[in-house]
Amino acid sequence: MNAIIEKINVALKEAESKAAIAADSVAIEQIRIDYLGRNGLFPALSKEMGTVPPEERKETGRAFNVGRNQIQALIDEATNRLAAKPESASNALDLSLPGKRWKFGHKHPVTIIADECANLFRRMGFIVSEGPEIEDIFHNFDALNTPMDHPSRDPQDTFYFEDGRILRTQTSPVQIRTMESHEPPVRIVAPGRVFRRDTPDATHGMNFHQIEGLYIDKNVSMADLKSVLRTFATEMYGPKVKIRLRPHFFPFTEPSVEYDFSCIMCGGKGCPVCKNSGWIEIAGAGMVDPAVLKNVGYDPEIWSGYAFGLGIERLAMLRYRIPDLRYLYENDVRFLEQF
Amino acid sequence: MNISKNWLCKYVAIDCGLETLCDKLTMAGIEVEALESSGTIPPGVVAGRILTRTPHPDSDHMSVCTVDVGKETLQIVCGAPNCDAGNVVPVATIGTVFHTPEGEFKIKKSKLRGVESQGMMCSERELGLSDNHDGLMLLDSALELGTPIERLFPGDTRIEIEVTPNRSDWLSMWGVARDVACLLNTEAKLPEIEIPECTIPAPGLVTVEAPDLCLRYTGRLIRNVKVGSSPKWLQTALESVGLRPSNNVVDVTNYVMMELGQPLHAFDLAKLSGRRVVARRAKSGEKITTLDGKTLTLEPRHLVIADAEKPMALAGVMGGEFSGVTDATTDVLLESAVFFASNIRATSRELGISSDSSYRYERGVDWDMAELASKRAAQLILETAGGELGSELVDVNSGRPAEMVIPCRFDRVRALIGTSVSNERIVEIFRALQLKVDQVSATDCVVTAPLFRHDLEREADLIEEVARIDGLDQIPEIAVTGKICASIREDAYLPLETLRNKIIALGFDECLHYSTVNRESALADSRFAEADLIKLKNPISLELAIMRPSLLGEMLGSVERNISRRNLTLKLFEIGKAFCRNSELFPEERFEICMALTGLKYPEQYSDALQEQYDFYDLKGALESLFEMMNIKRYRFVPTEDGRFRKGRALGVEVAGKTAGAFGEISSHLTKGFRTTYPIFVAQIDMATLLIAAHGAGYYEPFSLFPATSRDVAFVAPAGLSHDDVLAFIRKEKPTDLESIQLFDIFEKEGYKSMAYKLTFRNRERTLVDAEVNARFDKLKESMQNKLKVELR
Repeated sequence: MNAIIEKINVALKEAESKAAIAADSVAIEQIRIDYLGRNGLFPALSKEMGTVPPEERKETGRAFNVGRNQIQALIDEATNRLAAKPESASNALDLSLPGKRWKFGHKHPVTIIADECANLFRRMGFIVSEGPEIEDIFHNFDALNTPMDHPSRDPQDTFYFEDGRILRTQTSPVQIRTMESHEPPVRIVAPGRVFRRDTPDATHGMNFHQIEGLYIDKNVSMADLKSVLRTFATEMYGPKVKIRLRPHFFPFTEPSVEYDFSCIMCGGKGCPVCKNSGWIEIAGAGMVDPAVLKNVGYDPEIWSGYAFGLGIERLAMLRYRIPDLRYLYENDVRFLEQF
Repeated sequence: MNISKNWLCKYVAIDCGLETLCDKLTMAGIEVEALESSGTIPPGVVAGRILTRTPHPDSDHMSVCTVDVGKETLQIVCGAPNCDAGNVVPVATIGTVFHTPEGEFKIKKSKLRGVESQGMMCSERELGLSDNHDGLMLLDSALELGTPIERLFPGDTRIEIEVTPNRSDWLSMWGVARDVACLLNTEAKLPEIEIPECTIPAPGLVTVEAPDLCLRYTGRLIRNVKVGSSPKWLQTALESVGLRPSNNVVDVTNYVMMELGQPLHAFDLAKLSGRRVVARRAKSGEKITTLDGKTLTLEPRHLVIADAEKPMALAGVMGGEFSGVTDATTDVLLESAVFFASNIRATSRELGISSDSSYRYERGVDWDMAELASKRAAQLILETAGGELGSELVDVNSGRPAEMVIPCRFDRVRALIGTSVSNERIVEIFRALQLKVDQVSATDCVVTAPLFRHDLEREADLIEEVARIDGLDQIPEIAVTGKICASIREDAYLPLETLRNKIIALGFDECLHYSTVNRESALADSRFAEADLIKLKNPISLELAIMRPSLLGEMLGSVERNISRRNLTLKLFEIGKAFCRNSELFPEERFEICMALTGLKYPEQYSDALQEQYDFYDLKGALESLFEMMNIKRYRFVPTEDGRFRKGRALGVEVAGKTAGAFGEISSHLTKGFRTTYPIFVAQIDMATLLIAAHGAGYYEPFSLFPATSRDVAFVAPAGLSHDDVLAFIRKEKPTDLESIQLFDIFEKEGYKSMAYKLTFRNRERTLVDAEVNARFDKLKESMQNKLKVELR
């Protein structure tokens, strides 16, 4: 018996007793490192093989292989033993302790609705356009066919700057800017902030969000408008929601309509939210006024189209039953983290 | 605008229920906003004669009466002072149900202090007819006993409608009746308007000196009127639409205004100096005291109705304090005029006075109606106040405006509405709306709009009429086709949405703040000076007066608000527009990203490891992760000195070689009074700079399938040596196959710091041999010792 075989035998005994008392996977891994690891015993012995006289090589080689396999077997056995052994009581975890939760972020309810609207309309072929919030009178009023002495131009209702520009009162100027820079057909929605000179209260803010829609093409009719709004309503509130168009007046559309959804709260039976009418006014719409088309250089004899606009805060308040608009701008995390 | 159903019925027969009527109105663009029923007396209240009255045996103020209600005689206990035998009064018999605001109230057989009572005799208030509750309502004693009282006082309903600004013709009963007739396929009829002929000339009675502002002025004299209370029907009519009755002459002017939409004014002739009126521009500084007691100083832009000396009325807006009709008035000058709408609107708004009259004038009245309304008012004044006509109608005007003649193509109507409405129906709708239709051919017609329809100017306006009357519910729903008119690459918000979702994925909660702030909030961001701020000319308050130059001030406001509510752990962000006047700093409008971080890392805190506070490196790591998510490779952090941040606790961020923003621990001067012990960290990044540098993931990069080998190096270095210095040095040395450098230990002591790095080597094609790695590692250690001047440990 040569020195190598002897070392193997010693190692086997050693390993056997170590494996027997190994109490965890760390101890087992240490056995592997000591004997089989890159700097362990067996790789070292394999380097010594060259020194073994030829007649002993066969026997030594066999002992080496057997020894190595036995070590591996000891490791496997210990691993299995550990796996089979029930955890001792002293190691048991209190599984009822709270999990270490991941802090995840929350999208603001107004953004949730705005993104949802944008995506619904994207699916219907619209893309999102945008425009500045500090706007000029031409884009916000003149080009939209607003009479010179229309009350909405009054400094009582609209924020002005010294240079005569204003904070846009609606997202409609984006229509004008888009049409100015694009040849028809045009199919856009424009979500964004708008400003009215209202003192903030439960239903008013000095700014809020609208989403504007515009489609200009050949042969666009009110039936197209109605159908797009119906699709929007169904996608937003499910197949049961009804819509109705009511005649109304806006300077930039003719014919103009307001559109109502059957009340989301009561299903149309009548409740305080819909003031017992069964309907909730969602926004204004209509066929783009020929004067507006002329203002951007589109020929109203060739092109026609519709525009619509809706208030995002209102949709968010309805969806989540938020009673007060101010909660949306207070940013209390107990509010924000609900959505 | 209030409509009374009874009043409306004077002009058009309404053969449908109230609900149907309201529905039709709303669906025709006359939106019904509220309904209020009044005076509906429940069935069961009948006329009864009190036969006997005896004192209640057990009460000082009650009586026991026997009451004949026609088919029977009832015993009723009553507390009213006037339940005397012989009176005919309303009697609520057993089973009558009153609907009161407090709920239903049913009359039952009952005992009052031991005496049986078989009903209730009623006051006017109890029947909802007036506020009179002094005693029982006394009825005509000739009334047949048992007559239901509801037949004598039919209820009315006040219908509150929203009139859109284009439809001034709906600001009258007659105007609404016209549309109702069209909706109900019937005809609207005006009452007969007849007055005696009077040809007495009145030269000089009316002068119009400002024909640009006063388009038509008619005056008529009525002499020897007897001013007093109006008859009941007139008072009831006014009350039914929410007007307060005054005297008969004033009531008539209000009645006719409500009936025909033409505002009228009655001057007391005796109070007009020179007994004449002049429609003229006010003289600069001229004063008038209006009916409501306000004294106004006028300018030539204001139109007044003056007498020979002074303004007696602010034309179309309000009468002067002493111009009106009083009990002493005998002779009346009746004004029925047409004023320039924009001027009335401007005056009303400027002076802050509005009235039912200005409301109508500023929306535009019917040129033709001025004359008819004057006649109608004269008729009713003669009827209710007596007297006789004192002059012919003096009519000073600058000519009747031309009616709009509008060609209309039937195909165009159908194309825009999207229905197959027939030519005949289109013409029928126009005619039902009292529009004149001529030259009807197979393809088109010509419509002449009457002067009460200011809104009809173009074909599109006519198309709206067809859509409205034919019914928007006739418009079919068709398949929605998603025609693509532009590439999704042009979508302005997709990159923003993607960015926002990534910040949310990093655990930040999205905030929204107002765009306008106060000065302190605006200047919280030390990058901006007063001159850089964009200020509103007409803010609501100083709190909301300045366009926010950055998102910092309001974000800190929300941090403070949360902290004061004991929400101490905050991970907030906003992406919003910020505004700057100084184009050298920023464009006028830009999107900024603002992130704020403070508090404890874990919501659970039951072990030491879970007590960890957010620190500078958490925010830095969030930004690094964000850049990685956006595949921004070219970014670096640079030193920054900035009033926003605590000294030595902030870094600037450069992306693709451009300044993108900065982040750090917020300076204590900005968090004074915040009730927290946790430091607050904020990042402010310009969105456009980030988005320009962001790319989708690049091409696949092959990775090595061979094992890695690592070596640890630990050293002591002067405290001034930064991690960045070490990284830069090692990278410059370029050890072959070095894959990564990871700092795994660092501590500082007495001006020195000890740092330990793990260097990982790996080759793409083969397994590295220990010896070669050792050689490279030793060489690196040597140069670190010699060139970086660190002491290896």
